[in-house]
Amino acid sequence: MKYMILSYASQQDYDGMAGRASDLPAWSPDDFAAMASFMQAFNAELAESGELVETRALAAPVHTRRLGASNGVPFVTDGPYAETQEVLAGYWIVECDSFDRATEIASRLAACPAPEHVVANAYADVRPIMESSAEID
Amino acid sequence: MSGTDVENLLRQLAPQVLGAVVRRYGNFDTAEDAVQEALLAAATQWPNDGIPDNSKGWLITVAARRLTDLLRSEQARRRREDTVARWELPKQQADPIDSSADSDDTLILLFMCCHPALSAPAQIALTLRAVGGLTTAEVARAFLVSEATMTRRITRAKQQIKDSGIPFRLPARAERVERLGVVLHVLYLIFTEGYAATAGPSLHRVELSTEAIRLTRMVHKVLPDDGEVAGLLALMLLTDARRAARTNDTGELVPLAEQDRSLWNGDYIAEGVELITAALPRGIPGPYQLQAAIAAIHDEAPSAEETDWPQIKALYELLLEMSDNPIVALNHAVAVAMADGPAAGLARVATLAGDKQLAEDHRLYAVRAHLLEMTGDTAAARNAYLAAARRATNLPQQRYLNRRAAMLDNAPS
Repeated sequence: MKYMILSYASQQDYDGMAGRASDLPAWSPDDFAAMASFMQAFNAELAESGELVETRALAAPVHTRRLGASNGVPFVTDGPYAETQEVLAGYWIVECDSFDRATEIASRLAACPAPEHVVANAYADVRPIMESSAEID
Repeated sequence: MSGTDVENLLRQLAPQVLGAVVRRYGNFDTAEDAVQEALLAAATQWPNDGIPDNSKGWLITVAARRLTDLLRSEQARRRREDTVARWELPKQQADPIDSSADSDDTLILLFMCCHPALSAPAQIALTLRAVGGLTTAEVARAFLVSEATMTRRITRAKQQIKDSGIPFRLPARAERVERLGVVLHVLYLIFTEGYAATAGPSLHRVELSTEAIRLTRMVHKVLPDDGEVAGLLALMLLTDARRAARTNDTGELVPLAEQDRSLWNGDYIAEGVELITAALPRGIPGPYQLQAAIAAIHDEAPSAEETDWPQIKALYELLLEMSDNPIVALNHAVAVAMADGPAAGLARVATLAGDKQLAEDHRLYAVRAHLLEMTGDTAAARNAYLAAARRATNLPQQRYLNRRAAMLDNAPS
C-alpha cells in the first residue's frame, strides 16, 4: 500500500532556512547542516528497508505559478500565497503494509533537528494514495 | 445459494475484510462498524441477487465507502463541538521487517480484541463481533443480556483499544507468546460458556462452543506448529464430542461414567486424537495439550471402568505442576481413586478440603460423595450428596445431586 507523507512550510520558513530573518529568526549554518544530515539518514534508511518510493522537496512558495479562471476569464498569478501561509514543502511516497506503519514512519520526522520555533509547532500529514479496491484486497 | 450459505461465507470473510480495511485506513473502532454494515448489506442482498464474483472485494469496497461516510460525519460533529480529537502514537515501535513477514489479519485482529487492557467479558464480546462476524444482537442473545448492554460493552471495549493506540500488526515477538496465551484463554472461555449453558431457547441462539471451535480452527490454520493451539482445538473437539450424551431426555446432566458412549461424535474424537497425537511429541506439552490428552483417553475408552486411569492420574500430576488450580487437584483426586482405590482418593479430598477456594465448592462434596459411595458407606455418601446439592448453583446440577442422594435412600444399608 502506498501513502504520501506531506510536510508544510510558509515563505517565511523558507526564508529562515535560506538564512534570512523575517518575522521569524534565520537558521544558523549548523541548524541547516543538522537538518540536512538527518534527512539524508532518514531517506537512506527508508530506501534500505525498501519502503521509500520517492521523496522530493519543493522550491519556495514564491516560485509558484497559479493558473485559473475568474468569471470565465483565464488568468495566471505568480506567487499566489501570503508570506505566512503554510503550503506543501515536500513529500515522501512510501510503500508499506499499513496506515499505522506509514504513520510511524512519519512520526520519526519529529526527531528532525531544527530551531526551536520550528520544532515547537512542526507537523506532517499522512494520506493514503488511491488504489483500486482490488489492491487492498 | 441459501441464506445459511451466505451467512457462513460472510462469517468467514468478516475478519479478512475488517483486516484489509483497518490495515489500509486505520480507525479500528469505526472500521469495525463499517464492516458490520457491509456484512448486513450483503446478508440482505446476496440471497436474492446472488454472490458477487469477488465477494471479498465487494465487501471491502462497501465497507471502505461506509467508513468514509462515518469518518466524515464524526469529524464534522467534532468540528461543530470544537473538540480536536488528538491522540498519542504508541511509544514502542516494532521492527519494520517484523511487521509484514508472518502477519495474518485474523490473528492480528484476535490479538487486538484480546488486548490485556480489556476485561474478559469485553475481550469475548469484541472477539465474537470483530473476528467472528456476529452482530451485537447475536452476541447479546448468546450471553442472555440485552442488546443495549452488549452495545455498551462493545463500544467501551473499542474505545479502550482506540485509547491504547496500538497499531494494526502483530505484537512484538518478545510478548507474542504471552499475548497468544490470552487469545487462547478467551477462546477457551467462549467454549466453556457455550458448553456450560445447556438450556435456553436455541432458535436464535448462536452456538458458542461451535463458534469457539471455528475460531480456534482459524488460529490453528495460521499457527499449525503451535502445540498449545493444537492442544486447545483438540480439547474443544474431544469435549464437544460428548455433547449429545451429556444430558438426558429431560435435560438432566449425565456424568461421564454413565454416558451412552455410542452417542459420542466419532468424527470429532478422531480429529481431536489426531491433533493431540501429532502435537504431544513436539516439545514440553502445555496445559491445553495435557487436558486434551486426558480427554482423549476418556473418549477412546470403551467404558469408565476400562479407562486408563493410571495414565490420567499421571497427566493430572503434570498439570498440577503447572498450576495450583483446585479443580485440577480435585480431578486428580478422582483419578487417584479410580487408579488406586477410593480410600486413596478420599485421602486426597481430605487434604483439599483445607483449600479456601474449594472448601465451599459443591464439586468437592460431590466428589467426596461419589468416592464414599464407592467404598460402600452409603449413609455418609448420601449426606455428602445433599451437602453438594445445597452448594450447587445451577438447577440441573442440584437435581442430579439430589437424585443421587435419593437413590441411596432406597439402597440397603
